[in-house]
Amino acid sequence: MSGFSRREVMRVGAVGSAMVAGAAVASPLNGPRMLPEELDKDSFAAAVKELRAIVGDDWVFADPESTVSYRKTFIPDTKGNHIPSGAVAPASVEEVQAILKVANKYKLPMWPISTGKNMGYGCATPASSGQMVLDLKRMNRILDFDAELGTILVEPGVTYQDIHDYIEENDLPYWIDVPTVGPIVSMVGNTLERGVGYTPYGDHFFMQCGMEVCLADGTLLKTGMGSIDKGNTWQAFKWGYGPYLDGIFTQSNFGVVTKLGMWLMPKPPVYKPFVVRYPNMEDVAKATDTIRPFRMNNLIPNGVLIMGALYQLAMFEQRANLSDTDGPIPDAIIKAEAEKNGLGMWNVYFALYGTEETIAATEPIIRGAFEASGGEVLTDEEMNGNPWFEHHKTLMRGGMTLEEIGLVRWWGAEGGAVAFAPVAPAKGSETNGQTELAKRIMESYGFDYAPAYAVGGRELHHIIFLMFDHGSEDSSQRAEKCMEEMITEFGARGWAAYRSSVSTMDLVAQQYGEANREVNARLKDALDPNHIIAPGKQGIA
Amino acid sequence: MGISAKGRMAAVITATGLGGIVLLAGCNMPAQASQGPRPPEKIYAKVCGYCHGKDIGPIIRGRALDTELVKYMVRHGKGGMPAFKPTEISPEELDNLAIWISESEADPEEHGQ
Ligand SMILES: Cc1cc2nc3c(=O)[nH]c(=O)nc-3n(C[C@H](O)[C@H](O)[C@H](O)COP(=O)(O)OP(=O)(O)OC[C@H]3O[C@@H](n4cnc5c(N)ncnc54)[C@H](O)[C@@H]3O)c2cc1C
Repeated sequence: MSGFSRREVMRVGAVGSAMVAGAAVASPLNGPRMLPEELDKDSFAAAVKELRAIVGDDWVFADPESTVSYRKTFIPDTKGNHIPSGAVAPASVEEVQAILKVANKYKLPMWPISTGKNMGYGCATPASSGQMVLDLKRMNRILDFDAELGTILVEPGVTYQDIHDYIEENDLPYWIDVPTVGPIVSMVGNTLERGVGYTPYGDHFFMQCGMEVCLADGTLLKTGMGSIDKGNTWQAFKWGYGPYLDGIFTQSNFGVVTKLGMWLMPKPPVYKPFVVRYPNMEDVAKATDTIRPFRMNNLIPNGVLIMGALYQLAMFEQRANLSDTDGPIPDAIIKAEAEKNGLGMWNVYFALYGTEETIAATEPIIRGAFEASGGEVLTDEEMNGNPWFEHHKTLMRGGMTLEEIGLVRWWGAEGGAVAFAPVAPAKGSETNGQTELAKRIMESYGFDYAPAYAVGGRELHHIIFLMFDHGSEDSSQRAEKCMEEMITEFGARGWAAYRSSVSTMDLVAQQYGEANREVNARLKDALDPNHIIAPGKQGIA
Repeated sequence: MGISAKGRMAAVITATGLGGIVLLAGCNMPAQASQGPRPPEKIYAKVCGYCHGKDIGPIIRGRALDTELVKYMVRHGKGGMPAFKPTEISPEELDNLAIWISESEADPEEHGQ
């Protein structure tokens, strides 16, 4: 396992200090590339002045230096297509409404973020350069926690860590469900992206109940039961009356979500995590077919991860530890390294939740099925503190960890990773073809295939983190081309992404067909005629 | 941001479905946004400390790191480290954090490089 070396920190420090010293950067008004395409400098300056009057000088960032945190991204952007013009950070719904009014007046596009840690998908950066980031992080209140129903209503800036702490401080008998990067990301941003976690409440949008949305014209919409006079059912019943609207505000640019309700899982008396190791690459098919029936009948209640060895190793290792060449790392080396660390070529993580009795009843059934498929079923006892097992043990009970970020620095200190997550039916027959395709394409560009599959219910997510060297122009360009080819080739076989980085939103949208695009375009025109909210998001102009 | 429970704190006694009687606090309580800067050790524990000293980021405690370097890293990010915005860690919090990291002793519990 390795981190950055001390020398490296010092070297970076020297460069960093030099850059700080030289940071007398020109005004953004001199950098036309950062401005929205159709906005002249004077109009931008006038808009910024009005925004300052709304949120105060401290909360408008409109020059390269103060915007720098909004520009950091893990994905490749060699053409500078995702550079914001600035950022504005409101503290209330009223300020959001006022900001959107200014945005409409000047046709200044706003890219809303909750915590802006959409890592591997673009972080806080917009779909096209020049958009101003609408940073909702300051709206960070937990507005309601119903301790009988286990429901919560939060503002966008609330992180999973905040909720975790709140539950602990108040000794509430609930768990949260987190993506693998819980401490620094938001329940709202993640759920709006239809993100996932690893307890039985892992399908976040499924567990979402009620939202408040600020539309482009300032209208405040409360979905579901939220607008019933004297009502108190907002977080208890999802569907409300008439067309169900929440979905159109996820992965969308139809509004700015200012409140979101979620259901929380009652803390179970007993929790037992498992790993099933498989020795060979092709075993992923058997693993998938074994998991699917248990997800359909819910004997395994949580979304199951099938983690490839290289994905796992990349959390704690850097590439240079495994290989001193640029070529693809042979499977034999990966396998040997995995074995050394107590890992298989595939590692299936699932857990049982309930009482001693219920777990004792179901464990043998599940164990038997995995063993019959050639897997080796192991628990805490045998894994004995193995760091990868501990990591997944934490995740499957909604615990706080950031260890997986380690994979972003696979190629070295400059980092670099972009995610591609196509979905397919959860059938073994869907796996090996995908693995071969991804491996072939990635290796042809000089990248390593570090995969994970996840069986949610009837669907199979293939999570491919393309790790590259952000510090190298060549590597970044190859990563861009590689990602484009993967999306195209997977799409040609019917495997389309469930989500996309800002750099490929349009490409993926094309695969979902013209009728879908047309309906989205009509909705956009109706709800945001000036197209000021996140143009380009999910390919919607 | 730190959330301090403020306002009405309704405590109800209820029976959980699984047999235990527990004190449930927190019906309809607004959890207020942070009042003033959070202490640096808290920010370290809730953000930095998940990677630094955990085999993901380099060890940064006990190294007398230059405070300007710390601030630069936080705002710019570096490699696998995302950047943290002024809305996440305020300028005042960052000043305190940089000093705290720079002056902190090495923590023997931390590991990595
Ligand atoms: C190593 C690694 C592991 C990861 N693991 C997971 C994982 O297990 N599961 C998972 O789901 N993701 C995962 N991610 C991806 C990502 O980091 C998380 O999904 C994260 O929660 C998204 O960032 P955020 O919460 O800050 O959302 P944000 O960045 O704030 O929001 C994401 C997008 O949603 C939209 N949006 C956000 N807020 C609003 C709003 N209020 N109104 C309208 N639109 C809005 C915007 O388009 C925004 O760009 C991982 C990333 C990495 C690098």
